[in-house]
Amino acid sequence: MNCNDARQHWNLYHDSEGDAELHFQISEHVAMCPDCAAWFKQQSRLEDLIKEKLGPQPATSVLWDNILRKTGLVRPARVRSWIWFAGVAASVAVVGALLWLWQGSSANAADLSKLAASWHEKVLAGKEPEFRPHSQNPDLDVEKYLRGRVAFPVRCPPRRDAGFVVNGAGICQLGGESTAYLTGHVDDAPVSIFVLARDSLAAFPHQQQALRTEKTHQCREGPYQMVLAVVDRNAVLVIGQTEADRLDRVVRAYGSYSDHN
Amino acid sequence: MRHLEPLHGPLETYCRRFVHDVNAIADVLQSAVANAFADFHLYVEGTNFRAWMFRYLHLEILNWNRKSKRDRTAELPSDLSVEDAWQLALDEPLVKVLMDDPEAVLDQCADALAGAVRALPALEQSAFLLQAIGEFKYREIAGILQVPIGTVMSLLSRCRIRLRQHLVKFGEEHGLLKPQSPS
Repeated sequence: MNCNDARQHWNLYHDSEGDAELHFQISEHVAMCPDCAAWFKQQSRLEDLIKEKLGPQPATSVLWDNILRKTGLVRPARVRSWIWFAGVAASVAVVGALLWLWQGSSANAADLSKLAASWHEKVLAGKEPEFRPHSQNPDLDVEKYLRGRVAFPVRCPPRRDAGFVVNGAGICQLGGESTAYLTGHVDDAPVSIFVLARDSLAAFPHQQQALRTEKTHQCREGPYQMVLAVVDRNAVLVIGQTEADRLDRVVRAYGSYSDHN
Repeated sequence: MRHLEPLHGPLETYCRRFVHDVNAIADVLQSAVANAFADFHLYVEGTNFRAWMFRYLHLEILNWNRKSKRDRTAELPSDLSVEDAWQLALDEPLVKVLMDDPEAVLDQCADALAGAVRALPALEQSAFLLQAIGEFKYREIAGILQVPIGTVMSLLSRCRIRLRQHLVKFGEEHGLLKPQSPS
């Protein structure tokens, strides 16, 4: 693939669309061509900024209360004044309690890398995962297993040409956030992939902050290397005792697996 | 209700950005929700509720925009060849300046950008907003708009080029972008 071909398909690459082979070829080209790497980075940056400006805004609660009431989805509430006052008093108490909790929790904010490393060790110790595919097509088995068990979209596992071979999957809670995980290996190194809803990153301020300035965040936790990125509606963390480049390749391949349907 | 609640924000934003008559937003949302609710027996549990709901809203908005006689589907601007579009944009010297420091323009033009999206042809506008607000994949957008997936790709590609051209124009008019002097 040359620079023209790669740039012509930037849209597909940026949107994680198109077939896995195309993504692989573009990734290979971008890795070898500094000009295209800079070009792709600039394009994606502008696109992300535009989406940030035009993306979803919080709902207007009054508007939705009216809509739901008028469409009969909720019954109108008969509010007496003393209930209203009690509600205000309770709200003040709850806000106070939340502020107190927040002050305590900000000092002990959950660290996704520590929690992921701890869970990865359970996998290495053979205590996890809860599901192991036995059919001829483990990718499909794992995908099917996970999709029925978490509320957010899961698009996995990454395609084989990224080097990740899946051998298990499960659900866990990291920092109170529902998380899907896949176990497998890249060459001989055991590797786990943790997939969360993108919004869940709010529970991990350190990682959220890091991803504001970097597209993929690399760090170490003990002996484990890890790479974290936001892919579509997911936050994806890949961890293992191997080079960061290999884990980075797995992260980049996540979501580009061709659609089975 | 449990399906609908997480979609309040994206549905409302999509409506605000797409409906021509700002006074009709509550009515459009209400009609879309009422229609979806009436047809809820057709929804298959476990399938894509998000796309299902957005399709109802999209159709409702098209109806309202048509009623307000400001639908722009007929006035498609001159077309860009998708294959050449990325190169065309690159050839503009000011696009390069924009790419080097996009915040310089984007921080100043939130309203103008929203206006530029409103000025897009209806189909391009909806494809772009479904991706930006609904975070849908091409296949899902194709399903909502009832167009082939290749059309979605073309729409999004053209739309990106048009928005960039608009940003360059805005930056130039407001003195935010200046051509780089040859070194």
